[in-house]
Amino acid sequence: MSGTDFPRTTWQMGAVIPRLLLVVCLVDVSLRFMSIDPLTFRAWEALTRYRPLGAAFEPNRHYSNERSYGDSAAMGNHPELRQYRHETFTTDALGFRNVAASRSEPAAAILIGDSFAVGSGVSDEETLSSRLSTLSGCIIYNAGSEHAYPDPAQVLALARNLHMQGGLILHLYSEDRELPAVPTQWQREVKQVLVRTPEWAGSFVGRVRGLITVSPLRIMSERAMKAIANDRIFPNRYDANVVKATLSTGDSMLFLASRLQNFYSKRREASVEYWTWMGAELRRERLNFLVLLVPGKYTVYRRFLVNQGPVGYMAGDYLYRLEHALRAAGVPVLHLAPIFLARAGDSVARGEFLYWLDDVHWTSRGIDLAAATIQESWPLTGPSCGGAHRSLTAKTP
Amino acid sequence: MLFNSLSFLLLFLPIAYVVFWRLTSKTHRYAWLVISSYVFYSFWDYRFCALMLLTTLVGYLAGLGLLMWQDPRRRWVCVIAPVATCLAFLGFFKYTTFFAASVNAVLSWLGGSFAAPRLDIILPIGISFYTFHTITYMVDAYRRAITPTRNFLMFASYVAFFPQLVAGPIMRFKQIEEELATIDRADRKATLDIGWSFFVIGMVKKVLIADTIAAVIDPALSRYAELSTLDAWLCMLGYSYQLYFDFSGYSDMAVGLGYLFGLRLPQNFNSPYKATDIADFWRRWHISLSSFFRDYVYIPLGGNRASRLTAYRNVMITMLLCGLWHGANWTFVVWGGYHGLLLVLQQRFGGLWDGLPMWSRRAGTFVLVVLGWVLFRSDNFEMALALLRVMFSWHAGSTIIGAPVLVAMLMLAGGIAHYAPNTFEVRHRWAPAGVAGFAVLFGICVFVLYSAQPSPFLYFQF
Repeated sequence: MSGTDFPRTTWQMGAVIPRLLLVVCLVDVSLRFMSIDPLTFRAWEALTRYRPLGAAFEPNRHYSNERSYGDSAAMGNHPELRQYRHETFTTDALGFRNVAASRSEPAAAILIGDSFAVGSGVSDEETLSSRLSTLSGCIIYNAGSEHAYPDPAQVLALARNLHMQGGLILHLYSEDRELPAVPTQWQREVKQVLVRTPEWAGSFVGRVRGLITVSPLRIMSERAMKAIANDRIFPNRYDANVVKATLSTGDSMLFLASRLQNFYSKRREASVEYWTWMGAELRRERLNFLVLLVPGKYTVYRRFLVNQGPVGYMAGDYLYRLEHALRAAGVPVLHLAPIFLARAGDSVARGEFLYWLDDVHWTSRGIDLAAATIQESWPLTGPSCGGAHRSLTAKTP
Repeated sequence: MLFNSLSFLLLFLPIAYVVFWRLTSKTHRYAWLVISSYVFYSFWDYRFCALMLLTTLVGYLAGLGLLMWQDPRRRWVCVIAPVATCLAFLGFFKYTTFFAASVNAVLSWLGGSFAAPRLDIILPIGISFYTFHTITYMVDAYRRAITPTRNFLMFASYVAFFPQLVAGPIMRFKQIEEELATIDRADRKATLDIGWSFFVIGMVKKVLIADTIAAVIDPALSRYAELSTLDAWLCMLGYSYQLYFDFSGYSDMAVGLGYLFGLRLPQNFNSPYKATDIADFWRRWHISLSSFFRDYVYIPLGGNRASRLTAYRNVMITMLLCGLWHGANWTFVVWGGYHGLLLVLQQRFGGLWDGLPMWSRRAGTFVLVVLGWVLFRSDNFEMALALLRVMFSWHAGSTIIGAPVLVAMLMLAGGIAHYAPNTFEVRHRWAPAGVAGFAVLFGICVFVLYSAQPSPFLYFQF
């Protein structure tokens, strides 16, 4: 490895390596100003990059991908288990997933919650808000976001923006999520500031945050490493992120490893303080409030999987305890686990699934079932209801 | 923060470097080194900066006391009390949980009902290293091998200097005193090339060799009970090279960074797998640690000056403590005992060993070291025994995913470790083609770093 003496030129380590680092830095920074759409496999990554403060996604965007697939397959690096599907994802001027439409008519309900509410993995016309709109003939606004537990101030600001006078706030809570907590006074004040932030400032902060946190160079590098960590050249080091289980029909189903622990956790706290607080705040503004409890994929399919361990005392009853606590606190609640458990058996036998095999989220079939159950248990009414095809999702972009 | 992280390479290092060389006075440079080192350390856990500062203060005050007092009794107190304080910090944070668990296990075995409370104490990263820096300073000052400094910033920059803060080399004050004292006259250009050369070689050793081997053997060793004989040997050979390239890679990066800031850090590895016997191995492996134990434990115990049995006892005590230093686990203690035993056997039967051909002494030493790494790598004795059992009884087949890559990496790593000169043996003056080659390798390293969280260095846990 030893070399001979050379006069000091630009081709010395002290000159070349710092320049190389500078070039890497410049390439990284330059790429951050380019679109990441070609590098994404689903809308979520593409549309959350530059989301303004308080918004779920970049406003007024339309994303379309013919070969989208599930996040679990991506996280576990299991390309052979991908379920390719077409995904269209449209956001409105406020940065939520709604096909653009006039906001002159008041919405009958706002759906808040996490990626289940957003409709991760399905197209615009298949989301829960779309299906509910179609079934009820009302305008149901989809305000789903990765920040699944908004402050009442944010919800009320949105309701005013949507000209709501009365109506319903539907809060979708999915089983695998952390339990929401009542924010501290300080956190509430921060949220108030966010609500009052001018649009241009929110957009600017979102832009800067997106530039800092999203690196296309990192995405490309991760892709390259995943390609060789294929259990042939290198062991798949991403495999531990997911649990691969087999259904009695022989189909493989992926679960996030972290979420399986939730199921077997024997004493998940079932506190309902957040919802009682939220419900009280909304009632003050003449808004109704309904909590929708959505079971996790493992809860629904566990009994159809082969070689699963014993459930154990108190494991898996979290949503039931939560439902009981909500009812005891006087918070309206609709628990979807019983109907999902009942329907899952039939659908498994037919090879139809309420949840994606390669993702933790529900399919359009699962969403349809949820929408029908909601409409049956809690028929939506309001000034905007009555006419079919008047929903926000009725128009195609 | 890790040397092999993008935040270090693209943010911390450029800022620390540019500001350092923009400053001209000694005091400013000391202050900047201290500030940047504490910022570097705070990326792990800012709360432990206070502990490092406290240890630094203890060492500094002890030095002032030794400078001030000539009375032997006062000087004795002046070294014993602060050394005991530093060791108490180390003992509390590193060994409390271990000793409590051991006491509980013994009491439970004896049928007792008492159980020492379980304390979940976080191990402050680098505590083993900066504690030893401080101890060497105080003991050397007591022995009058150095003159303690009155300049607190100079002392603080010696203790906290970020390139060697978390995993050494364990630097003696006298090794760096002169360069620290003339830090305002350091020549940036004189050490720029050699600094980057060391750093790049270290990065390649860590990211492209050690981490590649780890990517294959870590999943395999996590299911050690299923390994075949061939798998187990491949894994342990892999681990032997992984450990060497990981730690020597870190040390090379530390030395390179030292050069970039005008300070020369000592050599920590001298081709240890070329050793011809175990004593030779310890003269080549983690040199700053083995010389610490030699100078501050073995020799004060009497070394080999007394009877043969006393010398054997001193070797065993030293090596058991060396094992314990590596981690709060009985596997490390037994590993230290294993090496102590090998050293005793060498002292007793060295003549026979020396009569063997050179190649067989090298190969034999390497195999003995690899067997020791089984204990070092194992989480517990069950794992160590299972691995040794499968290594020495025939179990057919191979289940390692990525075995061809592993074999190729073993050949490359073995070739470098056994036959190539080490980083202190090359002159670091490269032809343009060599520079271009290193630039390509470094570029690949950076691309790999973009793909995932950087993997920590193995010696950080110690």
